[in-house]
Amino acid sequence: MNRLNVTLSQGSWGGSALRRFSRSTAAMLLCVVVVGYVALGIASSGSFFEGPSVRVFLQYLATPILIGLAQMVALCVGQLNLAVGALGGFTACLMGVLMADHGVPAGVTVIVGLLTATAIGLATGVAIVGTQINGFIVTLATMTILLGAQYRLTGTRTVDGYSRTLRDFGTAAPLNIPLVFVTALVAAALLAAFMYRTVAGRRLLAAGGNPLAARLSGISTDRQIVAAHTLSGLLIGVAAVTATASLPGVNRSVGGDWLLPSFAAPIIGGVALTGGSIAVLGTVLAAFVTRLIDAARAQFSLDPSWVNLLIGLVVLGTVAGGRLHQTRLEKSATTDGAVLPQTGGAQ
Amino acid sequence: MTTSISPPDTVPEEKAATHHMPFWVNQRLGLLALVIALSVLFGVLRPAFLDQQLVLFPLLRDIATLTVVALAQMVALSVGHMNLAVGRMAAFGAMFAGLGYDRLGVPMQVGLLMCLAAGAAIGAVTGWLIARTGVSSFVVTLAMDFALLGLVSLMYSSLTDDAAFTTHPAGIDALRSYSLADICAGPICGSPAVPQIAQFTVLAMLALGFLYGCTRIGRELLLTGANPAAAELSGIPTGRRVLLAHTLSGLLAALAGFMAAAGTGTFRASIGDDFMLPSFLGAVLGGTLLTGGVVSVLGTLLGTALVGVIRKGLDLLGVGLESLNIYLGCVLLLALSADRIRTVVSYRKVVRST
Repeated sequence: MNRLNVTLSQGSWGGSALRRFSRSTAAMLLCVVVVGYVALGIASSGSFFEGPSVRVFLQYLATPILIGLAQMVALCVGQLNLAVGALGGFTACLMGVLMADHGVPAGVTVIVGLLTATAIGLATGVAIVGTQINGFIVTLATMTILLGAQYRLTGTRTVDGYSRTLRDFGTAAPLNIPLVFVTALVAAALLAAFMYRTVAGRRLLAAGGNPLAARLSGISTDRQIVAAHTLSGLLIGVAAVTATASLPGVNRSVGGDWLLPSFAAPIIGGVALTGGSIAVLGTVLAAFVTRLIDAARAQFSLDPSWVNLLIGLVVLGTVAGGRLHQTRLEKSATTDGAVLPQTGGAQ
Repeated sequence: MTTSISPPDTVPEEKAATHHMPFWVNQRLGLLALVIALSVLFGVLRPAFLDQQLVLFPLLRDIATLTVVALAQMVALSVGHMNLAVGRMAAFGAMFAGLGYDRLGVPMQVGLLMCLAAGAAIGAVTGWLIARTGVSSFVVTLAMDFALLGLVSLMYSSLTDDAAFTTHPAGIDALRSYSLADICAGPICGSPAVPQIAQFTVLAMLALGFLYGCTRIGRELLLTGANPAAAELSGIPTGRRVLLAHTLSGLLAALAGFMAAAGTGTFRASIGDDFMLPSFLGAVLGGTLLTGGVVSVLGTLLGTALVGVIRKGLDLLGVGLESLNIYLGCVLLLALSADRIRTVVSYRKVVRST
């Protein structure tokens, strides 16, 4: 608080905002992204800066950004969404089967896919609020159901004979910037505007930050939980569209490896698991970082397991480092009472 | 065997209240009835279900392994934490056992000890990180899952040619295929349906039942889970209890990894890939609370058994693999909703009668 007052009294708003940004997680991540990208470019003797490399890099960045944002929306009301990968995979397979086997045009399919994902998100939210069962368990159950449904839709085959239009959308890249990546950025911008500028968005954050206070001030936390899961479902639907558009085909393994990255992006980006905070820019940048690790792996042709190991260590380092930083701040500030260590954790 | 933090014999009011609760509220009794009813149903529909050697033996072996996995999750849940890395800790432990057999040529028991020590060590590291940094266990174990997933695959691919240790020490094949029928006391032999590997499960259940039911440390673990702040204020070293819970969780996960490896005969990186869902299913269906403070050792066995029986029964009824998960997810939701309804109804009855 003191520091904030000092910066405010010093004067210009722009200066203080810039200073605050320079201390934030997003700024640190931005540095990591820039340094990592340049280092990778130098290591590949410049070929990483060329058009095709940039295009491929950005094309496969769209899905991680969107699933990270979908998880972030669930986290902001203090919920977890374990069904991210299963719902995304199911929606992608549904769209693939609709187009390839039933000849539904691409436009209609995309709308059906988005609506289905949103409806399943809504149903999950209603189930959580209606039964009062922990959201962790409900999404675990929906994950199981959706995995089964996805397998039932496609079986062991790979659906790849689908619409040219969607494929063109997936590979189109004016100025080497893929349209799917632009879609992800637009979704992120819309989400940021919704969260930071609208009443409904602020309600979500209020319900996540302090459910009791939110309820006392007339906000239905139940409704916010349903809204968050619905929005999460919609974002997963968009992720499924980008995945279907850019992948060569969809099968039952689509979405299988989405769950862990979906948590990694918001956590590295600085979102608290307890709810009430979001970081759209941080999440997008964190998705960049994980993609960079993947690109570096491909560049040096290492075992894919290195990616998991490194991402795990990065997340562990981020949380431990952030916590140590916080304790140092607490120690330097004068506190009146003894502060109890926070040990309860599942929620 | 359910242990909650307030023992009824020291709190008279609560004892009176539990007397008013109708018997069908008891979750474990319901689970037991459900498991028996379903087994009979599947047995009638498909007599092959009751085949001791071909169906019941592998079923019980799976249940024995998954019960240990669910117990590993239960221990973490008892302090209000989660362990998302159960599967990977199992793979990590099993890797050390396989390494011992393949490279060092150790006997089976020493390999098992190495496996347990590795599991306990990785669990302790996790617990230490959580207790020291205060970061949510969900994040730390998730990151640990990532890290171990990478580490275990890397070690297997660098140490072995075909990503698996296939050396069989003396005794491990016996562990896989022997049942109680191989133990005879005079003319009376045991049932061929009960695998010998279940001895580990029984041991783990007895040890945990004793820990949570009879010891001070067990009570302190539960209190830490129920209310960390209150536990800290009453002089319980909550940090150390969290560390202990995660160490135990890692140890049990490694034991499950060893059992799974002994069951399939090879030590490979994919051990434990499908452990996470059953671990939560077994513990939660058995009555362990996600919020901490309440555990049920026997319930965990029954919950795991229920899932195992349903899976096997549907499989025999010809429900394809692709639909199995749909039914399992629905069963999970129904079971928990039913439980919730039962609690609410019985609570209303108690309130009305008093």
